[in-house]
Amino acid sequence: MLGDIITPDLFASALRMATPLALAAIGGTICERSGVVNIALEGMMLVGAFFGTVITLATGNAWLGIIAAVVSGVAVSAIHAFASINLRSDQVVSGTAINILALGVTGFMMERLYGHPGTTDPTGTLGPVFKFAMSDDGFFGTIWNWINGIFLSHTPIVYMAIIIAIVAQWAMFRTRWGLHLRALGEHPRAVDTVGVSVIRGRWIAVLMSGGLAGLAGANLTLEQVGSFTENMTNGRGFIALAANIFGHWTPVGSYLASLLFGFADALQIKLQIFRGEINIPPQFFLMLPYVLTVVVLAGVIGRAVGPAAVGKPYEKE
Amino acid sequence: MSETRETLPAQKAWMSVAQKVGIPLASVVLAIIVGSVIMWTSGYDPVAAFAALFKGSFGGPKQIGDTLLRSTPLILTGLALAYGFRANLFNIGAEGQLFMGGLAVAWLGVAVTGLPWIIMVPMLLLASMLAGAAWAFVPAILKARVGAHEVITTMMFSYIARYIVSWLVVGPLKAPGQIPQTVALPTGAQLPRIQTLFGESTLDALPFLNLGRTHLGIVVALVAALFVWFILKYTTLGYENRAVGFNPWASETGGISVQWTTVKALCISGAFAGLAGAVEVMGVHYRIFDQFSSGFGFTGIAVALLAKNHPLGVIPAAILFGGLTAGAGTMQLEAGVPQKIILIIQALVIFFVAAEEIFKWFIKRRQKEALSHAG
Repeated sequence: MLGDIITPDLFASALRMATPLALAAIGGTICERSGVVNIALEGMMLVGAFFGTVITLATGNAWLGIIAAVVSGVAVSAIHAFASINLRSDQVVSGTAINILALGVTGFMMERLYGHPGTTDPTGTLGPVFKFAMSDDGFFGTIWNWINGIFLSHTPIVYMAIIIAIVAQWAMFRTRWGLHLRALGEHPRAVDTVGVSVIRGRWIAVLMSGGLAGLAGANLTLEQVGSFTENMTNGRGFIALAANIFGHWTPVGSYLASLLFGFADALQIKLQIFRGEINIPPQFFLMLPYVLTVVVLAGVIGRAVGPAAVGKPYEKE
Repeated sequence: MSETRETLPAQKAWMSVAQKVGIPLASVVLAIIVGSVIMWTSGYDPVAAFAALFKGSFGGPKQIGDTLLRSTPLILTGLALAYGFRANLFNIGAEGQLFMGGLAVAWLGVAVTGLPWIIMVPMLLLASMLAGAAWAFVPAILKARVGAHEVITTMMFSYIARYIVSWLVVGPLKAPGQIPQTVALPTGAQLPRIQTLFGESTLDALPFLNLGRTHLGIVVALVAALFVWFILKYTTLGYENRAVGFNPWASETGGISVQWTTVKALCISGAFAGLAGAVEVMGVHYRIFDQFSSGFGFTGIAVALLAKNHPLGVIPAAILFGGLTAGAGTMQLEAGVPQKIILIIQALVIFFVAAEEIFKWFIKRRQKEALSHAG
């Protein structure tokens, strides 16, 4: 049975499941590094998932859908930026408002546009980028099949997420922008003193997190599920925040932490197929990612320290 | 020092009138205006919509009854959130504690037999509070000991609670039949409807008592609000709760254990969320199933924020949101507006309450204008 569970497919599924979490988590990392808490990743992802589907259904072009998802994620994050940076609202409360707003707006527009609640018509899903043939000659053939199955079978956003993680890591620790970003979250007054605008820096970071969360939503609808269902993000935004913490507020760390959660998700899906033999109710498998999140948070915090000024509105003197 | 002490009360009195009542009221009005604009741009008639909404929530004794029915769990989840907020804790997972409270009651109410109503009902209410507190305990300990943010942990526990309930109602606690739900509570474990407490002649004479489905849970909720108000205002427990919320460092220096107070605050918050689950099970559905709560735990966030975390302010705030929920059906039926607009309005209210700066900025500008005109 173990041979049936541990297959290239399991690891490929882990990569797929990790993608929306990783994109949102990297968004969360950038946002929190600038000193703004973003618990609205959940809502931004939901809005991205919805508008990605709407535009794809309207135009028949999934790439336009992906663009719409990113743009709508950015638009929603602008509300969070305005409330938490300019109006100095409590960032967690503003984030909660956005999560509720996202549920309301997507549900409201769904009924307005399609005349019913629940799930939209199918959009179909984007196909894999590469199509390599499987091999059947001996040992090297098996190795090729594993590599092909795990790494070369994916849709575009899965690869984008990996590239984004690496580029963001480089930008955050090797560029002037990254230096300013990290300083914004540690000591905004110092950044202000050297003549860099705190307001502007934080706005850009929040908008970037919105775009990444929107892209995560597009991955969910246009690459994984193929339609939009109300509240389909199902807590992924919160799990992404945990992944960001587990990854010590670094983009690559966030990606790797998301892989862990993605693997848990892939494993529970796989195990459900063997429900007859394992004889554990499916709800216990479904709980797995949430339980893992709590366990990870319990184990890692205390050793992982976030940006010093995170959550604190900046007031110019 | 003495000078600030003398000037503070007068300033505070003015602030409390302007901010505690004025800003929430202005927030609701603004949310309704923005909500109307959204309806109008989507091609609906906002005037007809709000008229239908009002009719469905306050149009008569039966409608008021429906509003109170929805307000009952909202008062309790609002109290749960407010109590947490007072200690600077955001119990975003109140929905999970509500599920556990409801589950405890749905199970014990059937499992325990032979007790008179007067003992059974308080016992069940207490059990729901313990279950809610227990469900908040692990996040509370994690917050106090390692600093794990309660927003993530209580949210995760809320998903776990929902899966536990959805397993139990198809598994060990499933009632005979096709529907995934538990066995109904016996009458001796229910909270009866208010109108059944009065005779036919009384109801004829006083028709406003004919409150439809409103049940005794509303009394439980009102007593709970008074109780929380008393705790916060007059007890050491409440003082420590507020002190830690206001300034944890100063509290620690002053001899209050911040960790212990955090644990207590989140568990007490969970207890009231659990109680909200109990009133829904004992007064409305008499059993538990997957969808027995329509997001009362989440609406409780808006209730608490609108009430500015005041336990008595929670009552009118809950009635407002209860009314919105109760009238949403009539609004969809008569004006064709999707019920989801209620969520949008709820989010807008939270925004405006949280963005006090908008109002302060506006007030400041008015003062400046007045000054420049005077000059």
